[in-house]
Amino acid sequence: MIDLDHVSKTYEKGLRAIDEVTLHVDEGEFVFVVGESGSGKSTLIRLLLKELDPTGGIITVNGRVLNTMKHRQIPSYRREVGVVFQDFRLLNDRNVYENVAFAQHVVEKPGRIIKKRVPETLRQVGLAEKYKSLPPQLSGGEQQRVAIARAIVNKPKILLADEPTGNLDPRNAYDIMKLLEEINNQGTTVLVVTHNRDLVNQFNKRVITMKHGVVAHDEEEGGYIEA
Amino acid sequence: MFSVASIATMTVCIFIFGVFFSILMNINSVVRTLEEEVGVTVLFDEGLSEDRIDKIGEAIRGLDHVTEVTFTSAEEAWENYQKEYLGNNTELAEGFSDNPLANSASYTVKVDLIENQNAVVDEIRQMEGVRQVNQSSGAVNTLRSFNRMFSAVSIVVIAILLVVSVILISNTINVGISVRKDEIGIMKLIGATDAFVRAPFIVEGLVLGLIGAALPLAILYGAYNWLIGRLLSRFDLMSSMMGMLPSTQEVFYYLLPVSLVLGIGIGLTGSIITVRKHVEV
Repeated sequence: MIDLDHVSKTYEKGLRAIDEVTLHVDEGEFVFVVGESGSGKSTLIRLLLKELDPTGGIITVNGRVLNTMKHRQIPSYRREVGVVFQDFRLLNDRNVYENVAFAQHVVEKPGRIIKKRVPETLRQVGLAEKYKSLPPQLSGGEQQRVAIARAIVNKPKILLADEPTGNLDPRNAYDIMKLLEEINNQGTTVLVVTHNRDLVNQFNKRVITMKHGVVAHDEEEGGYIEA
Repeated sequence: MFSVASIATMTVCIFIFGVFFSILMNINSVVRTLEEEVGVTVLFDEGLSEDRIDKIGEAIRGLDHVTEVTFTSAEEAWENYQKEYLGNNTELAEGFSDNPLANSASYTVKVDLIENQNAVVDEIRQMEGVRQVNQSSGAVNTLRSFNRMFSAVSIVVIAILLVVSVILISNTINVGISVRKDEIGIMKLIGATDAFVRAPFIVEGLVLGLIGAALPLAILYGAYNWLIGRLLSRFDLMSSMMGMLPSTQEVFYYLLPVSLVLGIGIGLTGSIITVRKHVEV
């Protein structure tokens, strides 16, 4: 599902964020990517979103080679990849329903599908009751649920989460991770970048540890290893 | 705020364009009418016999470039004069017991093109029995050169205003893009196409352009109508000359589509340039 073959990314200033990384993630897997800040985790996410292009190696996602992807093919690729961030990135002037529906408008889904799919997704993330609330009226955990609903409403094959629990207390962080696990159980490949050690250790998942731009450890059902 | 500024500039731009356009159209219309009407008037030596006058007429008709030769007797000349300049004031005409234009029998000669007029006049002057040849190309030539100069100035002024309008529209769209930067970022990540992200800004540019064109057009329409009406009512004696001026409908027949295209063009150019530069997907 996700293949990195000797992928490197060197920024213009000469900083090597990712150095010859080779890794493979299967369809339906749940993977934690952990590491200190500056270890290259965020660069990895940005490469997978094709916000950045690698300076070396080949990235293949869903059978598409990102290196050679044409500019006009990027939108259709991104529709197969959902993404959530630490800072939620919700539209604060629109309510929960509108924030989720926005993702469907953007990919030009017909109105009748939106009316059916948005409530369904809000039920899935446990926010059916709060569909009229504005994001600032919600707790951090609830806001992240809205962001997750927005990321999965178009049924992506892959869900990328960049520090999704970074702004949450342990209780909410756990619930969010549980929700991501549920989404994974329904067949979506999930890749979570985090440095929340306790959380990683509570879920017995594959853990890829990055350090200085390289994969330091890669263990099935592993724990958070201080790299 | 910014959209008000850009609409205002565009309004000024198209308003000035409209004013220049109307003035040019008026001058052109006058020039055309004058060119059509302008003739060479040939007057004869005093007491010249009708026979000789007929012969001169034949000779003039035989010249190159002459399209029309009309004879006006002294009596007709006086009648025309009364009609044209004294209007309904018949008592003014009654003051004259004799025909004050007794020696004014004439030929009016029309020439195909104003450029050929001088050659024709020279030939007529040399004919025997011709006392005087009156030529009125001077006014037409002055108007024409004025028209040329005026066109050149308008083109420069309008070009500068066009550039300013495009820059202001571009600024307005740019502000809109910065305000919605987060939203655009999210749209891109979700998989919005370039066209989907850009369309609202281009539509915004289009709407700004349309408003910026419609506003000055409305003002110009009112102003032109008012001015023409006022000129016609105030200057009764000049009404025959005013008749040369195109009506509001005639001016707007050209001005309306040209201004609308201009407005839409400015709006689209400003927004498309900006969007291409700033909305990278």
